[in-house]
Amino acid sequence: MTTTSLGTPTPVRRPSRWRMFVWQLLGLGLLLALWWLVTDVLRLYPPYVFPSPRAVWTEISYGLWGTGPQDGKLLAGIGNSLRRVLVGYVSAVLLGGVVGLLMGAWRPLRDTLGAYLTGIQSVPSIAFVPFAILFFGLNERAVLFVVILEGFIPVALAVSGALMNVPPALRVAGRTLGARGLDLTTGVLLPSAVPSILTGLRTAWSFAWRALVGAELLVSASASLGSQLEIGRNTANMALVIATILTIGVIGGIFDAVLRALETRVRRDYGLEVQQ
Amino acid sequence: MTPRPTLLALSLALLAPTAAAQGATTVRLGYFPNLTHAPALVGLERGTFQKALGKVKLEPKEFVSGTTLTEAFAAGQIDIAYIGPGPAINAAARGMPLQIVAGASEAGAVLIARKGSGIRTYKDLAGKRVAVPSLGNTQDISLRHILKEQGLGAQTDGGNVTVTPVAPADVLAAFAANRVDATLVPEPWGAALEAQGHLLIGNEKTVWRGGAYPTTVVIVNTKFAQANPALVAAFLGAHGKAVAFLTGKPAAAAASVNRELEALTGQKIDPRVLQRAMNRTRFTTALDPAALNEYAALNVEAGYARGTVNLAPFLNPGFQKR
Repeated sequence: MTTTSLGTPTPVRRPSRWRMFVWQLLGLGLLLALWWLVTDVLRLYPPYVFPSPRAVWTEISYGLWGTGPQDGKLLAGIGNSLRRVLVGYVSAVLLGGVVGLLMGAWRPLRDTLGAYLTGIQSVPSIAFVPFAILFFGLNERAVLFVVILEGFIPVALAVSGALMNVPPALRVAGRTLGARGLDLTTGVLLPSAVPSILTGLRTAWSFAWRALVGAELLVSASASLGSQLEIGRNTANMALVIATILTIGVIGGIFDAVLRALETRVRRDYGLEVQQ
Repeated sequence: MTPRPTLLALSLALLAPTAAAQGATTVRLGYFPNLTHAPALVGLERGTFQKALGKVKLEPKEFVSGTTLTEAFAAGQIDIAYIGPGPAINAAARGMPLQIVAGASEAGAVLIARKGSGIRTYKDLAGKRVAVPSLGNTQDISLRHILKEQGLGAQTDGGNVTVTPVAPADVLAAFAANRVDATLVPEPWGAALEAQGHLLIGNEKTVWRGGAYPTTVVIVNTKFAQANPALVAAFLGAHGKAVAFLTGKPAAAAASVNRELEALTGQKIDPRVLQRAMNRTRFTTALDPAALNEYAALNVEAGYARGTVNLAPFLNPGFQKR
């Protein structure tokens, strides 16, 4: 406690990366052991209600790298679902970006459309599926519609909100230097809003991913993660249901981690987070 | 999630045996409002089941698909059920405590194409969208077999036929909106679609095995059957009477079925449509183990199971003769 001079902040003790990894691994092992204990050892539930880790692993291994005529469905489902969510997400980001910019630049639009979007956002995505089916049919377009609808709202709200929250000093400084209208928005306001927009992009991703699986549950014409869930349910195969839930969770988690890392990096570059 | 499941399992374990050991006071029956479940409809409409059960109360529960019925069965909420062989075999394969105790209907499923879809034969299904009541159900498995025999395949199996689940009651709307091109449905939905001008592509006999295949069977919860053998036998006696009525007095039975369907769905079916549907369905109490075993093999072919299940421990036609 001798050096409390300015410029040298006292280092915060944080567990190192590998240490955290070890803890996470331990936690996972504990969870698996508990699962195994409840199902295989104590047999608290019949396997058709709560299957053992081994049964779920069997479904995962057959579904991902099995070579039988009916195997590999989970892998095919991942491929289709990822393709859909990427197309939907990119469209949602583009659409949300434009709508958000317009809302940020023009107050009346923000006060009207912004309020509606907030309302629509509170409706669960699955509620839009019947409408999408009637409008587009039992096909991929219906799924994409729901994904884009769910994904673009958080982006639009984040972009307009971020533009609104730019410190007035920056706005004044921009004006003083001669920036007006679109120039002010794209040259001054938007760059300073990037960190908040990134948070919106991450929210949009998780919304889109959830909307996708929900829509696929009801529109299951080709192999997808949603159709795997539905088939598992229809054939009383709880192991397949759990295997699919795990797959959905792991993929969602990986993408969220990537986006989070990007967000942290940008926040650091903007001086919003102190580097350890 | 540590303490709760344990507590739940304990309380369930404490509750369950008392209910079973003292003899049931209610029989919870699951069925669908389809013609292929006609013995259930007739038995309910004419009070045949309740009469046979005496003081024990019959609690009928209506389901729309084998999936939800199987879930209710797994949760222990159903004692006896009319169900398709597809869900019954899947449930048996997962080790659910059930016995297949009687047959109920055979055939009674047809392939109908939307007018204007250009489909005339099975071969024309290539590149089209075909609806089934739900993925993994009896008609879905039959359809995948038909496709395989025609050298076609579902999109999920690398073919170009899109197999999509649509509830039979919604197929009419799906046809009107051009969302699907054909459907394999149980009766009376097939005859109803035909009456609307849609085309019969495969009749009940060309779907599989010349029509000698089970469409609905009767299952019973194993624990319930062990605790209440007399009740199960009484119910199956009534089931036999309902089937005899359906085969012996088709006209009166059709009226009874129509009254019950109207009570359940709020819609009356044109008697001529119902008659046509009944002509395509065969009612029987007999269980054909060979057909069920072939069915289990088709289930594997369709990709819904990894191996055929040995059905012998689950087949118990002896209950009918007690």
